[in-house]
Amino acid sequence: MIKKNGLMFLWTTILISSLILTGCGGQQTTTPEPQAAVEETQEVATPAAEKKVVTIIFTQEFDTLNPLYSNMWFAMVTFDLWNAWAWMFDENNEAYPYLVTEMPSVENGGISEDGKTITLKLRDDLKWSDGEPLTSEDFIFTYEMAIDKNNAVASSYPYDQVLSMEAPDAQTVVMNFEEPFAPWEATFWKGILPAHILKPVYESENTINNAAWNLKPDVGCGPYILDEWESGSFARFVVNENFWGTPPIIDEVFFRFVPDDASQVAALQAGDADIGSFIAWNDTPTLEEVGLKIMAQPSGYNEGIFPVINEEKGSIAVDDVRVRKAIIMSIDREAIVRDILLGKTYVPASYWDSLPFYNDPPLENYPYDPEGAKKLLEEAGWIDANGDGVREKDGVDLALTYGTTIQELRQDVQAVIQQELAQVGIKTELLSYDADVFFASYDQNGPAAKGELDLMQWMDSTSFPDPDYYYWFCDEIPTDDYPAGSNWQFYCNEELDALFRLEATQVDANERQKTFQKINKIFYDEVIWIGLWANPDIWAVSPKMQNVKFSGVTPFFNIGEWDITQ
Amino acid sequence: MTRYIIKRLLQGIPLIFIISIILFVLMMNMGDPIATMGGRSITRPSDRIRLTRQLGLDKPIYMQYIYWLIGNDWTKVDLDGDSVAETSGTRRGILRGDFGTSLVNRGKPVTKVIGERLPNTIMLMVASEIIVILGALAVGVYSAIKQYSWFDHTITALSFIGYSMPIFFIALLSMYIFAVLFKRWGLPYLPTVGMFDPKVGKTTGQILVHMILPVFSMSVVSLASYSRYIRSTMLEVLSQDYIRTAKAKGLPRRDVVFIHALKNASLPIVTIVGLDLPLLLGGAVVTEQIFAWPGMGRLFLDHVKRADTPVVMGILLMIAVAVVVFQILTDITYAWLDPRIRYEK
Repeated sequence: MIKKNGLMFLWTTILISSLILTGCGGQQTTTPEPQAAVEETQEVATPAAEKKVVTIIFTQEFDTLNPLYSNMWFAMVTFDLWNAWAWMFDENNEAYPYLVTEMPSVENGGISEDGKTITLKLRDDLKWSDGEPLTSEDFIFTYEMAIDKNNAVASSYPYDQVLSMEAPDAQTVVMNFEEPFAPWEATFWKGILPAHILKPVYESENTINNAAWNLKPDVGCGPYILDEWESGSFARFVVNENFWGTPPIIDEVFFRFVPDDASQVAALQAGDADIGSFIAWNDTPTLEEVGLKIMAQPSGYNEGIFPVINEEKGSIAVDDVRVRKAIIMSIDREAIVRDILLGKTYVPASYWDSLPFYNDPPLENYPYDPEGAKKLLEEAGWIDANGDGVREKDGVDLALTYGTTIQELRQDVQAVIQQELAQVGIKTELLSYDADVFFASYDQNGPAAKGELDLMQWMDSTSFPDPDYYYWFCDEIPTDDYPAGSNWQFYCNEELDALFRLEATQVDANERQKTFQKINKIFYDEVIWIGLWANPDIWAVSPKMQNVKFSGVTPFFNIGEWDITQ
Repeated sequence: MTRYIIKRLLQGIPLIFIISIILFVLMMNMGDPIATMGGRSITRPSDRIRLTRQLGLDKPIYMQYIYWLIGNDWTKVDLDGDSVAETSGTRRGILRGDFGTSLVNRGKPVTKVIGERLPNTIMLMVASEIIVILGALAVGVYSAIKQYSWFDHTITALSFIGYSMPIFFIALLSMYIFAVLFKRWGLPYLPTVGMFDPKVGKTTGQILVHMILPVFSMSVVSLASYSRYIRSTMLEVLSQDYIRTAKAKGLPRRDVVFIHALKNASLPIVTIVGLDLPLLLGGAVVTEQIFAWPGMGRLFLDHVKRADTPVVMGILLMIAVAVVVFQILTDITYAWLDPRIRYEK
């Protein structure tokens, strides 16, 4: 009996111990007593209590940190910390000189009269974190690496637009173009490569694809420098002791990679992070309740529907502008913003809505008018003769395929739009794909690139804060011979094509504005794009943080001025 | 036995070769790695053409598989796009130990990508598996011995609750209760995400504390299913004649249960554990995702999303090899547990 009881006791003890270990034991070990913290920090060299650390949650991890090898937002925004753009953008998304002494303009001679030459004057006190001077040689090296055929850089644009580049002296960079290049301000010099580090690598390997610096850039030129990046876990940036500008206030910037939205919210609520990024609209009230400040920063991005407008691709119905107008008038976009996005954003009337200068005079939104939509459809010959709720013409139902990515918010909106279109007699089949499938190229059988859908939804921007974009050129329509084409709407309008080519060369902003007025009008009249909601970057900021501002272009432009109360 | 092991290992080689072909073809049809390289915008056409060529994605699938398998250093490739293959390839192929480099973390060897995450996953999964096996043995055996007792009924009910709860629900619920609410209520609380607090540093204590919630979440579901399984196999064995004989001989209850019953009841359990162990290397996708634990599950998911074939193939192949090896180990364990099992004539 004693043995039996002993066995029971043993098993019970193991069970309880296991449960305690899993569920309860940690509570005692994590008691936030200062003494416990002191004991644990004995393994750390400096007293943790004195160090100012800001923890920022990123929902995705950087892929690489070489400025030329990543277009990923999460990688690019870190350049504000440890690298630098030649000019930064403030909270109003206005450019201001950073590595250069002044913004090039026709007035100061930085831009030639014909607009084909741009001259940069660099500050003479710039230096890398290892003490080496940062000069025009680094700019030229960056340009050379961007266009080198052996380097698999993420994008060689806009460097591939340059005819030649020269460095007459250590502080001067001259860029020559065949044609005036209007979008220069928003596209050039989003990070500089240290020639003294990478040139030897290039000379020995004929490429910098495999340079150790790409994944551990321990030499930079920003207020911080990368200390450690642990895959999937975190990246820590510490103060650059050799920074040429004003030293930052916070000692350490700690990025924690948390892929799950709900976990990010919990971490912010629990105070395990000070700043959250890409906060979902429906999480903002929860975070505001616990005192976090929600900051929405326009970054040029709008969610919208791109109809396929081509006689050989997509539904013939969508080729008729009256049907497209009927579609836009059938969708209660204000209600979507109000009910699904909690009224925290707005419906953009123009693709250039986030750039008021190029949407001037501002376009008026098409109204929500289902009755008007029905009239337009009847006018276009689409009538529900058999009473099945779906309009038809010449024996063909008005049935459209409507595809987007698997993002939850998009699928919710798709469902709402499907119901609204059904009410005016348009049947839609909803399709959703993983991003790498949806955005796959024509030769990879991407459904969007192949023109297999009638309506496509995604979020996009211009070359923000520049209005230029390249989607709608007639020669960008994908074909078997040109599978890389970007015109996935398969829409060709010669007049629009010419206007886009013109604006890209107009260095005079006022002249360019006039061109965009015409472009805007065509977009509006032809319903080339259906704006659903403006999509600013949404940040959640702890009340402990001070002086925090964000830009939609270079988000961490003033990170050196941030402070945190302990 | 040695001959048997060698024979099984040799049989595994063609198996893994076939698996690799199937996986490679599936991967190549799962998405376009260039599609997500444009960041928040769609990749520019000129970049798409160039990157497709530079990353070797313009080659037919069978050629890409051959390069992956045996490398391309025996041939020339066209890097500059002039349609002339003039640059020598640099890849050596997995048969020569080169798993290639990640398409996402450009230039980073696959072995390094996986090697950085594997210890974190092993740490989490081994802790969870130990707790699950010990807990399930304790609960399962006791439930079987005390069939239809209040303890058995209670454990049965709890098992069904545990088993029917999705892991994401347990994970988020436990995070909210033990981290968010406990802190709000002024109670000792647990951390939400990650492996350590940056203000404290990556100490052993920090890692252990950060492991509690993920290990708990994973254990609840597995413990429920394992304990039910152990209970049923134990019940089956305990009703056998030889157990009755052992009891009749007056053997102590402990010996009857642990030496005669449990050892024989262990065979099916070993099968399950043998199948589970290699999969542990793949990590726990949901748990790692929710608790931001930098393990293999998240690695797999992140790289599948971006169609990073070299990394995904590396992970899948590692698991395939582990499955083959653990199956051999399982068979060896069978022979140890049951002397009637012989693999050689």
